[in-house]
Amino acid sequence: MAMPAASCGGCAEHRAQSLIRLGLSPEKWDILIALAGNPNVGKSTVFNALTGLRQHTGNWPGKTIVRAEGAFAHEGKRLKIVDLPGTYSLQAGSADEEVARDFILFGRPDVTIAVVDASRLERNLNLVLQILDITNRVVVFLNLVDEARRHGIAVDAKRLEAALGVPVVSGVARSNVGIDELIDAAHRVATGDQRTTPFRIASHAPVVEETVASLAQVVDDAFPGVPNSRWVSQRLLNADDAVIDAVRSGELGQLGDDGDAPEPAAAPDGVRTHVLEAAQRLRWDLPADFHDRITERTYAAAQEIAEGAQMRGLKKAGFDFDRSLDGLLTSRWLGFPLMLAILAAVFWITIEGANVPSSMLAGLLLDTVHPWLKGLGDAVGMPWWMNGFLFDGIYMATAWVVAVMLPPMAIFFPIFTLLEDFGYLPRVAFNLDALFRSAGAHGKQALTMCMGFGCNAAGVVATRVIDSPRERLIAIITNNFSLCNGRWPTQILIASIFIGALAPARLAGVVSAAAVVGIAVLGIGMMFLASWLLSRTVLRGEATSFSLELPPYRPPRILQVLYTSVIDRTLIVLWRAVMFAIPAGAVIWLISNVTVGGISVAEHSVVWLNPLGLLLGLNGVILLAYVVAIPANEIVVPTVLMLTVLTASVASAGSGAGVMFELDSVGATGELLRAGGWTLLTAVNLMLFSLLHNPCSTTIYTIFKETRSAKWTTVATLMPLAMGVTVCFLVTQVWRLLAA
Amino acid sequence: MVEPGLALLVFAVLAVVAAAVFWPSGGVVPRLLRLARLDERVRLEDALKHVYTCQRGGHVCSLESLAGRLEISRARGALLLSRLADMGLVRTGDSGPILTETGEQSALRIVRTHRMWERYLADRTGVPAGEWHDEAERMEHALSTEQVDVLDSRLGHPRWDPHGDPIPTSAGHVPPDQGLGLIASEAGRAVEILHLEDEPREIYNALLDDGLALGVRLEVVDRTDRAIRVRAGGREWSIDPVSAGNVTVRYLPEGEQAETPWTTLLAARQAETVRVVGISHACAGTQRRRLLDLGLVPGTEITPELTSAAGDPVAYRIRGALIALRRSQAEWIRIEPRAEKEVA
Repeated sequence: MAMPAASCGGCAEHRAQSLIRLGLSPEKWDILIALAGNPNVGKSTVFNALTGLRQHTGNWPGKTIVRAEGAFAHEGKRLKIVDLPGTYSLQAGSADEEVARDFILFGRPDVTIAVVDASRLERNLNLVLQILDITNRVVVFLNLVDEARRHGIAVDAKRLEAALGVPVVSGVARSNVGIDELIDAAHRVATGDQRTTPFRIASHAPVVEETVASLAQVVDDAFPGVPNSRWVSQRLLNADDAVIDAVRSGELGQLGDDGDAPEPAAAPDGVRTHVLEAAQRLRWDLPADFHDRITERTYAAAQEIAEGAQMRGLKKAGFDFDRSLDGLLTSRWLGFPLMLAILAAVFWITIEGANVPSSMLAGLLLDTVHPWLKGLGDAVGMPWWMNGFLFDGIYMATAWVVAVMLPPMAIFFPIFTLLEDFGYLPRVAFNLDALFRSAGAHGKQALTMCMGFGCNAAGVVATRVIDSPRERLIAIITNNFSLCNGRWPTQILIASIFIGALAPARLAGVVSAAAVVGIAVLGIGMMFLASWLLSRTVLRGEATSFSLELPPYRPPRILQVLYTSVIDRTLIVLWRAVMFAIPAGAVIWLISNVTVGGISVAEHSVVWLNPLGLLLGLNGVILLAYVVAIPANEIVVPTVLMLTVLTASVASAGSGAGVMFELDSVGATGELLRAGGWTLLTAVNLMLFSLLHNPCSTTIYTIFKETRSAKWTTVATLMPLAMGVTVCFLVTQVWRLLAA
Repeated sequence: MVEPGLALLVFAVLAVVAAAVFWPSGGVVPRLLRLARLDERVRLEDALKHVYTCQRGGHVCSLESLAGRLEISRARGALLLSRLADMGLVRTGDSGPILTETGEQSALRIVRTHRMWERYLADRTGVPAGEWHDEAERMEHALSTEQVDVLDSRLGHPRWDPHGDPIPTSAGHVPPDQGLGLIASEAGRAVEILHLEDEPREIYNALLDDGLALGVRLEVVDRTDRAIRVRAGGREWSIDPVSAGNVTVRYLPEGEQAETPWTTLLAARQAETVRVVGISHACAGTQRRRLLDLGLVPGTEITPELTSAAGDPVAYRIRGALIALRRSQAEWIRIEPRAEKEVA
């Protein structure tokens, strides 16, 4: 810490409190660094370069929503670094901006690193100037200078440094250029070895200036040590609660970041109230477009500084790649076909590529490890029920989920992440926005929807890139209509048994594939319908704001993408799924083995659910399977087969009560299901119900974590279920009416 | 097995019943909710607010105006006033009811809630401007003081409601009325609109249709008994005196002018660099802040660079970045018209 604790009175304590408020653990460090910047300027890349951590980075604005933290050592000191959400401003107009602003002001970092994209200097300086308003201890990192050079822009770091009055280091974070210099500069500013004289806007538009200046005078009198009374006045005139509280409590007097000056005595109560009263009174004198005027002034300054420091129109390296590619990918005729081709290729690679590893994993986990574990249980003398509960119940469900889920995710997510890293996905959102807008949604929902084809939980997490609350909620609630990879195998199996059988043998494959694609397309249709309904009913009044930045294309870093997408998306989602599969396995085994009056709980439930099942064109077994398989769609078919054997008493198949299984041949599965009373109608309804039912518990949990709202989680859970029940009911009754 | 025809029939009946009960406009439940709102307390609060409005306007309200405003009989209006007097909120003055100190504080609380809710609807929701007032009329009776304070802080302590009326502070402070009526402003002066009266609705909507909004800067060209002629954005038109009576303006200081001609960003051609004049006043709250933060301030150069495959949105080069904006957003952004540029 730069400030000796003894000279600082209650400030160390205050600091710890502020940090707790911000959700930071008050562990030990010597220098605290905040990392701020616009969205998509490579902040996360700088963070990774500094700490060696692998935070997920993507060529996609708005990646870091939750604050990431890391630590590293430099010259024997421990440096803690906090990656703030990317924002365009610090006016505290959104939750992200508030988090960033509060941390820079009240978290009292020893130094704030402002990451700046060299090719968008003006826009970035708007934020930098706002940071300089708050604190003197700033280092600017001019990132992506290589990319700027490619676009014919060069920035003179020395001139920029002279204009801003704080150190400017230029470099390329993704190839570690300039990182050492950045650490040195941050270290010098943090320890006070280098004094800064930050640029501040001298005066605002006359109508604003008069008021700001007169309040600044009052603030100066009350808090002589405050580093920027003009900024404080401006915030007070904006009635910024955090700053008002800081004045009221006297905390403001301690925010002076001049480490060596003696700590100013807290201003007495009366003086502080006087400041607030003056602010309250003066507020009414400001024009209504006060905020506009301030932004104008800041941008004017940013433009002047940028023009002085950058050279534009240099000879561009090579032809203008971005522009030509954009022209192609968003063209009227080729835009959509190219997009469909790319997405189809991604899905084809995923489904084809997952087959082999999936069956290998199934062979290993289910056919080799499972009998071995059972044998081990017997060998150590486990009672049969414990052996069954642990290995037939819990182990089986977990192994099943891993075998079905892991391979497609491990293929799908890295490919998707490569497209994201390259910068293609924002163009997809750009092309599809018109379609989504007509349903009241955001173009970026196209991407979260595609992500949902991999895994709905991951799709829900991906909605973080949508920055408008209403559209984000729509994307979260409707993500479940994307047929996730836990449901593809069910669809394919049922379609090949019942639908493919309708066609001549040589066409069976094509017909069943078409049926599955039809279901997926129906899902997309339902997604649009649900989005449209939501935006016109319950979400009607919610605010909407659209913004979509199209970042430049960047060469994807293949190795890092592989690493981060496997760690970040695949393993985290898999871990959650496994945690939910364990209790499911336990429940499935228990209901099949615990008996009441000589009949298992499962059979009781099936009998009880059967009337409802038949009304919907399904049966009790399927409904029970969906109830117990809430945790994971992957185990629905094995559970259905096990329960069918249990209740229909087909002696020839299965491995015993509560032991899920699948049959090697599709034909044998079909015979078993037909023996259980299945018809073509049952199959069609199962396919529909598999698409339209409540999300799996991993997804429900993720929805709750993302929305923090029990209400919206309930809507997201029950709406598709209600749609599924209605659709199955109508299909069944109309079918029977026509058949009769 | 259930007879399919019967099952479908039962389903259809259930669907019709559910729609009849819950349909937003005509359903039984929404109707009951609306009826429940018109209880005694609501009437009393409306009466109190009416007395306050009259007083603020510099006159004492009559029983007739109260009865007319609340759409009740005069006898009923007299009853309400005597209830208010019993509660110590009004006293009877020489020519009609006058608010007591407590009465004024209560009235200010209701006004604060009403204007705060309008601000909230304007800044944070997609509710159309025409519905703000009615929504706020409803909410002013439903929100507690604490809820309004929370809203106040969430909205960043706004000073004005979307019609330009001041929102009383939690301490009950309201600044004195500013500005003068458009009807009273001198010909030849440039003025800025400070306030548009939102009642009666017909006049308000007509004013909005005329392109008037808060913050719009006009030049008063000519004033007669029949009409007031104004000019803004290269357009000149007349406003009748009744409508002009509902517009409050202030004189612009020396050196500031009425709006120069503009056109919307939609008029910009592909790859043509144009200069921003401002953002429409219809764009407020979060949306406006976002556009400003992206650098869309007067003087900014902007170039349409890329049209999406469906034609909308369009990506614009703004201060070095490529930003996609929807058509509805581009409509808010005002640029210098081409004709003027060519002349210059």
